[in-house]
Amino acid sequence: MMELTGLTRRFDGVPAVSDVTLTVRDDEYLTLLGPSGAGKSTLLRLIAGLERPDSGSIRLNGEDITHRPTHTRGLGFVQQSYALFPHISVFDNVAFGLRNRLVDPVTDETGVKRRVDAMLELVGLSDLGQRMPGQLSGGQKQRVSLARTLVTEPKICLLDEPLGALDANLRERMTVELRRIREALGVTFMHVTGNEAEALAMGDRMIVLDRGRAVMIDAPDTVYARPATVAVAKFLNAYNVLDGKAEIGGFRHGDVLLPLPEGAARAAHYAVRYDLASIEPAGGAPAPGRAAMPAAFIAREFLGSRVVYFLHRPDGGVFEVERHLSRSDPVDHPKDAALTVTWAVDDVLAFDASGRLIETRRLKGAA
Amino acid sequence: MDATAAASPSAYAAPAPRESFWRRNRHYLLLAPGVIWMTLFLIAPLAMMVYVSFWTQTTFAISPTLTTRSWEMFLSSQTYLDALLRTLRLWLTVLALTFVIGYPTALFIGQFVRNKTTQTVLLVACVIPFWTSFLIRVIAWRPMLGREGAINIVLMRLGLIDEPIAVLLFTELSVIIGMVQIYVVFMVGPVAFMLSRIDESLIEASRDLGASAWTIFRRVIFPLSLPGVVVGAIFVSVMVLGEFATASALSGRQVNLLGNIIVTQVGSLRWALAAVVGVVLTGVMVVVIAALLSLVNLRREL
Repeated sequence: MMELTGLTRRFDGVPAVSDVTLTVRDDEYLTLLGPSGAGKSTLLRLIAGLERPDSGSIRLNGEDITHRPTHTRGLGFVQQSYALFPHISVFDNVAFGLRNRLVDPVTDETGVKRRVDAMLELVGLSDLGQRMPGQLSGGQKQRVSLARTLVTEPKICLLDEPLGALDANLRERMTVELRRIREALGVTFMHVTGNEAEALAMGDRMIVLDRGRAVMIDAPDTVYARPATVAVAKFLNAYNVLDGKAEIGGFRHGDVLLPLPEGAARAAHYAVRYDLASIEPAGGAPAPGRAAMPAAFIAREFLGSRVVYFLHRPDGGVFEVERHLSRSDPVDHPKDAALTVTWAVDDVLAFDASGRLIETRRLKGAA
Repeated sequence: MDATAAASPSAYAAPAPRESFWRRNRHYLLLAPGVIWMTLFLIAPLAMMVYVSFWTQTTFAISPTLTTRSWEMFLSSQTYLDALLRTLRLWLTVLALTFVIGYPTALFIGQFVRNKTTQTVLLVACVIPFWTSFLIRVIAWRPMLGREGAINIVLMRLGLIDEPIAVLLFTELSVIIGMVQIYVVFMVGPVAFMLSRIDESLIEASRDLGASAWTIFRRVIFPLSLPGVVVGAIFVSVMVLGEFATASALSGRQVNLLGNIIVTQVGSLRWALAAVVGVVLTGVMVVVIAALLSLVNLRREL
């Protein structure tokens, strides 16, 4: 178990990581999501000891490791660039930590060979031990880098955008592989990514970082269904966020007045998930319990199993509606067609002026 | 326009006419200036040197009658063989010293100075001595190292020595001091270049895998800088093996290297013997360079 308390790191006075407090459990897959510049990599480098925190502490299994040098922390760090040693073979790369670590090196070569071979097999590279890193593909390099770290049996394995440099196909395969490898070894993975789909799919829990702060730490389905702040909702790329002000009788967004769920009288942001909105012909009155807003059709994007429709809101912004094809066939609209977008008022998430999610009655009931 | 567009598909469908020999090979013309220059001014003179080494030398004249007399004279003369050994000894000493002094300097510039501009400034600072002429640099050592030179004066004033140190000038030591000072920069440059190319993430990865600073140097940094060491060693070796000016200026003609013998022999018009020494020197360099290159696969590393 690792506990971070009030961890802060500034670069030239600008905080890259500020006051991060969180607990990493044993044997879990933790994803760390944030836009670029949110401080994800800095946080990993602080944990690995490659950066020094300005304040705060890191405790690993009850022991304070805040000021321990990297090579005695017993943590593994898989770099985004893989950082394979170009002058030695894949086998020697993987064996590097076992042979050369200061703490408890493995001096018996048969022991090294047994462990390296077992690890190469786990990552599916048994045949490539004698290759040089320059002769490997991106996906293979990624696995060697992972194997090199995992063979040293780190207490926690930190992965910095491990899938970032891979193409989409390979990324999907490695997603499954990473989970399989982690489960086989029972080691905690802390996986940094800028891709919300990856973070949602892979994590047992996920941390959302925004401007150096951990704004939400929860299970992916909770993060997706009830983002703690409006920034999280925006970053998930799944919510239409409308700005405005709560008034008597609803939420004022430009010229339209939208009904608010009960208990959301302080709302300053109004969010509707793409897949919970639907498109209806213009003019009709909304069904009871539903909100409606006029919108003009722009285009639709076919994504295989689902279709995303893009519409102009009255204030000029874009409103997205996502329909799964198992539920409805794609509908064609002429460009600039006047339509109405509607959604159930109960599905609306309201955020207050400071960006925090307002606990409406439905949400309380669900929790 | 339409006509050409319609015609072109059929033109492509027909088997493409084989490109003429001239068209296929004309890029080799790019080599012509270099090849011509090197043939005229390197290959031909080298061949000539080997040839002349077998000519017959009399006191005042040389004739193209082939003989091995000059070779026999070289190989049986203790003076010449001593010069060969001295050259090799001096070369190894200077090479070792340029490495011992140059590598840490390069390590500092290449690894610990992370700012590219500062790196460049420091490397340029290394070549400042080259802003004056070679001869001045060499001769300037005399007032430094001599019996009444700066070093002896300072040491005596400080009371560290009672007698001036005599071995500082006109000895092999002074030649070594002079050469190391001149050539160390040729070691620093290539090594610093290789070191600055090492990706910081490799060092971070090694630290993360548990290696101490010394292990990282031994297992990662040094092996990755080895091509730079080899290139630097080749520069230093080629220049030191062919040296004569430093030796004659700083040794008072007491330390004769192969280069000095060539100068002397040419000065007294004994071309055949000079050619023999030239061939021996070239042979030594070929062996040295081949040995250095075998240490590392430059083609893979650079």
